[in-house]
Amino acid sequence: MYDYVIIGSGIIGSLIARELSKYEVSVLILDKENDIASHQTTANSAIIHSGHDPKENTLKARLCVAGNRLYDELEKELNIPLLRTGAFVVAHDEEEEKALEELYKRAVNNGVQSIHFISQKEILEAEPLLSSSITKALSLPSTKVTYPWEVAISAVSNAIKNGAEFKRNSHVVSIDKINGTYRIYLENGEPINTRNIINASGVSSDHIASMIEDDFPLKITPRRGEYFVLDRKAKDLFKHVIYPIPSKAGKGVLIVPQVHGNVLLGPTSENIDEKDEASTTLIGMKKIRHDLLSLSNQIPYHMIIRTFAGIRASSTYDDFYIQESKINKGFYHVAGIDSPGLTAAPAIAKYLIEDIIRINAPLKKNFDPMREKPIVFHKLSDDMKIKLIQEKPKYGNLVCKCEKITEQEIIDAIHGPVGNDTVKGIKKRARAGSGLCQGGYCEGQVIKIIARETNQPLSHINYYQKDTPILIKETKIHDKN
Amino acid sequence: MIKTDLVIIGGGAAGLSAALAASDANLNILIIERELILGGILNQCIHNGFGLHMFKEELTGPEYAMRYIDELQHKNIEVLLGTTVIDITKPDDFMLTVTSEKDGYQHITSRSVIIASGCYERTRGAIQIPGERPKGIMPAGSAQRYLNMDGYLVGKNIFILGSGDIGLIMARRMTLEGAKVLGVAEIMPYSNGLTRNIVQCLDDFDIPLFLSHTITDIKGKDVLEKITIQKVNERFEPIEGTEREFEVDTLLLSIGLIPDVTLFDSLKMEKSDITKSAIVNQHLMSSVDGLFICGNALHVHDLVDWVSEEGEKAGKYAKAYILSDEKQSREHLKVNPGAKIRYVVPQLIDYSHLNEPVTLSFRTTEKMIAGTFKVYQNNQVIMTKKAKYIAPAEMENIILQPDDFISFDPITVILEEAL
Repeated sequence: MYDYVIIGSGIIGSLIARELSKYEVSVLILDKENDIASHQTTANSAIIHSGHDPKENTLKARLCVAGNRLYDELEKELNIPLLRTGAFVVAHDEEEEKALEELYKRAVNNGVQSIHFISQKEILEAEPLLSSSITKALSLPSTKVTYPWEVAISAVSNAIKNGAEFKRNSHVVSIDKINGTYRIYLENGEPINTRNIINASGVSSDHIASMIEDDFPLKITPRRGEYFVLDRKAKDLFKHVIYPIPSKAGKGVLIVPQVHGNVLLGPTSENIDEKDEASTTLIGMKKIRHDLLSLSNQIPYHMIIRTFAGIRASSTYDDFYIQESKINKGFYHVAGIDSPGLTAAPAIAKYLIEDIIRINAPLKKNFDPMREKPIVFHKLSDDMKIKLIQEKPKYGNLVCKCEKITEQEIIDAIHGPVGNDTVKGIKKRARAGSGLCQGGYCEGQVIKIIARETNQPLSHINYYQKDTPILIKETKIHDKN
Repeated sequence: MIKTDLVIIGGGAAGLSAALAASDANLNILIIERELILGGILNQCIHNGFGLHMFKEELTGPEYAMRYIDELQHKNIEVLLGTTVIDITKPDDFMLTVTSEKDGYQHITSRSVIIASGCYERTRGAIQIPGERPKGIMPAGSAQRYLNMDGYLVGKNIFILGSGDIGLIMARRMTLEGAKVLGVAEIMPYSNGLTRNIVQCLDDFDIPLFLSHTITDIKGKDVLEKITIQKVNERFEPIEGTEREFEVDTLLLSIGLIPDVTLFDSLKMEKSDITKSAIVNQHLMSSVDGLFICGNALHVHDLVDWVSEEGEKAGKYAKAYILSDEKQSREHLKVNPGAKIRYVVPQLIDYSHLNEPVTLSFRTTEKMIAGTFKVYQNNQVIMTKKAKYIAPAEMENIILQPDDFISFDPITVILEEAL
């Protein structure tokens, strides 16, 4: 019997798990996929917003501003990457400047610090590639950028270090209530008993809720966002996050420098019917180019290395929905977490545990808040590199030449605290295959390293999900029959 | 620290012939190859058709490579296998940082360097094919390597985007291994592969080629299930109502090759936006003194024979550079691509050292049955060459003698259609 089972290992579930692992309680995280954080957390803008945009006196406003500050703490403890870019919200004419004034007031009311207006001259000095039709901007120095997926894996790793458990490929199909506790059934029939359940299942949160109650007050209305990724060589072309004036549809199409040097362009914002329709479209990609024209006409589109789409778990409820079920005690919903969910995530975890659950278990005496960052070999000094290669010669074998990733880093990713044995799982952890050639050169080597390290035949190594092998059939083996 | 006269980066077709051409009893030459065997991409090209020009024989890729590798054994040439160059700088001589599992981190100094690092395949991201992102989509060359070197098929029902030669070769190869190739789509109104490959790899196997078509949707959550192709107009925009769906588990991309010179950014050599590689003179030397480039790392060739020829040239001139032992000043004139010509290599001619014939290699922007290539200087035609069956997929060349030039002003290559 677990004290807490968290359904979903996205940024919300993983940070809740880590927060709970500070207390003397048992914690299990379930994810239906073959890896952690495979959906919204892996496909978003990666921005830690300042909190200028959410409506005043909402949970979104409060937890966004609080979450932004908590990331500084996470940076130290979990060793996550943070790029302190700051942001400009830009206006082009009187009407937009008026909207900027409103945004300024809202930001002040939300408690965002150090905000100020800057002139056209200051904008173009800081960002020479921006359009000269921009007349004024609101500068938001507290805006930052992170690698959201790494936040999730570092949180899960640290939770595991402090006693939590994680199970992948664990698709919850039903939940029974037994004498005030819960029994969760997985797709494979396995039952899991727990006193409390935290529903942090993103776009599936209304579906999970429906397993235990009929009148869940919200419905997920999935919203798709499409993006372009520019090669790392675009680094420094844009130094700040650039927002247009927000509209009812959202924050608009943005320019976002990324922690690894890439630049992200997007997202579009489109309501869709299917919760898993994460596809890019000709219309969407056209829209990105069109909308960005008002920000800059000097965007190097020839440097696009990848496109992707993410699904945001927007809902019919106007705010984040973070509440205990009205009828099922010990069942907690963390639902409708769309933007600024990434920013708010660390504050959501604390809010849930301290204000909603009001946990009364004692704090662990030996809680270790620190997560050691895996070695990123190419960033080390020459002396350090030589020393490490002497200890582990596989640091000498460069596998991904675009991102300069060595064989040992791939081995570390396979066997890490939340290791993974798939091509994309390794890409997410070690960045092998994230560069210019998108794995064209190194994918075959990565498959061989995974097979060797996990004692599996080559034809069992999956792309990402279960049953997705890249090498499907060996050609030179004759049937024994 | 290893000290040498000439480092050749890449032990494929270009690097091997460069090494042989440069070899000399008095020179220390070092080939650095990241794979554990020499031969480069030739090792995965197990079909025949290589060497028709070089050896007047039809060889397979590995056989072709072996001709050079065998010859290498008798020369004063060293080879570092399983070793990757991760940085080059040029404080005075070249300083290379290399890494391998066997020898770890090492520095090498060299008086001259030849880049023969080949090319990489253009990806789905680079051309932004819309749709979902399931497994089963990969560059045709990756599938070729998996099949021919590792012995694994990547799928059973295949569609191929792009009619580049690797895609065509793979259409035949996958068919022979029992896979079903449902078609090849090419966005241009003509094929981007060699005519002989269209005939021998598609026509002979009844594989349809959809010209002026591209992929406009990809379906499949975890594994590829279906693709949609559409006809495009002259502006390459999809035409509504022309959608056709194919149920496939694999999509191979043969949409272009790009010279792989990303490791050499720290050298700040001048680059061409069209070839995506160095700007060179007729000696294949880049703007960095002593740095030569050849083969698919310089521009993508249609036949390996031409790669070898270019490697040989780079080897010969690198050797002359090292042996000349004096700093030379160079005066360049520009070689411009004119009407219906996409690019010309070399982009510069060093007329202060113009004492041998100069070969201009180039590609056209249009397909035509017959035409005339003309080279202009000071508004005068200094050379003409007639050609038949001209296509962007095939590399053309013109040889200019030193006394063909009438001045030191730029020259322009153009193509005129024969009426």
